[in-house]
Amino acid sequence: MSLQSALLRLTKGGPEQQAINAGEIDAIVDYSNSNVILFPAARRALHASGSSLLAALPGAEYRRLLVGLEPVTLKLGQVLHEPAAPIRYIYFPVGCVVCLMTTVADQKAVEVGLVGHEGMVGIGFVLGAGASSVRAVVAASGAALRIEAARFRITLPQCPSLQQELYRHTYAMLVQARQTIACNCFHLSDARLARWLLMTSDRTQSQELFLTQSFLADMLGLRRVTITEIAGRLWRRKLISCGRGWIRILDRSGLTAVSCRCYSKIEGQSVSD
Amino acid sequence: MSGRQKIPKAGAADTTTVVVLRLYVAGGAPNSLQAIANLEAICQQYLQGGHTLEVVDVLENPSRAMAEGVLVTPSLAKLSPLPTASVIGNLSDKAKVLLALGLAPKNRRRPA
Repeated sequence: MSLQSALLRLTKGGPEQQAINAGEIDAIVDYSNSNVILFPAARRALHASGSSLLAALPGAEYRRLLVGLEPVTLKLGQVLHEPAAPIRYIYFPVGCVVCLMTTVADQKAVEVGLVGHEGMVGIGFVLGAGASSVRAVVAASGAALRIEAARFRITLPQCPSLQQELYRHTYAMLVQARQTIACNCFHLSDARLARWLLMTSDRTQSQELFLTQSFLADMLGLRRVTITEIAGRLWRRKLISCGRGWIRILDRSGLTAVSCRCYSKIEGQSVSD
Repeated sequence: MSGRQKIPKAGAADTTTVVVLRLYVAGGAPNSLQAIANLEAICQQYLQGGHTLEVVDVLENPSRAMAEGVLVTPSLAKLSPLPTASVIGNLSDKAKVLLALGLAPKNRRRPA
């Protein structure tokens, strides 16, 4: 049942409807489906509380930003930004993870950063760039909040705390990109894959990742067969288990030992929890 | 002591009666959080510990909301002392909450 039809069931002019008209209601109980239907503002706010970047904002700024935010569900492999293309929406991941990739040819690309609930996709926009410099691809499906770039441009100057948070996040992403470049150059594929799995797991806050080996190969700039070999080695050491379209981390500390020190360096910067 | 001390005008509830309240909320949604804050402030000022408050999250427990006849959240139910009363909304209308709690003169907020 939709919110509209649930609303029609309330007594006309009753206290519930008066409170709804005054904007004081968050949810309506749907007796026909044993369900609770949230009003859009409450839904946005509950989503936003999942973004640690937004949840850290003072109340007034949070509410100012909340008006323009729209909850969306992002699917694995969905491309949010393309290099040199104008940025239409800024994304705040809640339950999803977005991989930032630098392209070197039409098809070739390599990971230079991961963004989860701690950050924002479209940081170039904060620094004045209207177009993206990276390809932003969803690496783990889940919820996010998005805001139109034009609206964000107007709202940002009114939110000094958000600006500060975003400068801090931009610096953390810069550190992550630098470290990832060094990691891609110098470290073994096993260590890189372990780092990537741990970082994605930190951001989804789950030990189970739903992605394919060919997707992993694209993210890390490796061949699919290489991913299969590494996954086999990690499985034999009982660090992960995997199947078609999923990978489960079985032994976090063991996987951390396999990963390079880039993992702790990056996570010390960007994920506070 | 300077100034006159404000004594809450007791209606149905007096200092020995424990007021039993139940507040239905939808997780950490804005009106729900505001209702909790408003109610806690009112309870602290007027009931001074002479109450029990149960907060029910209907997102976690929709069946309970239905069993107890809740239509929307936030909504407050005063279960005891009788008569029972309820207030719908974020409880920013303090007079309405006091009336439901039996702490305000009953003839005070008549609609015009």
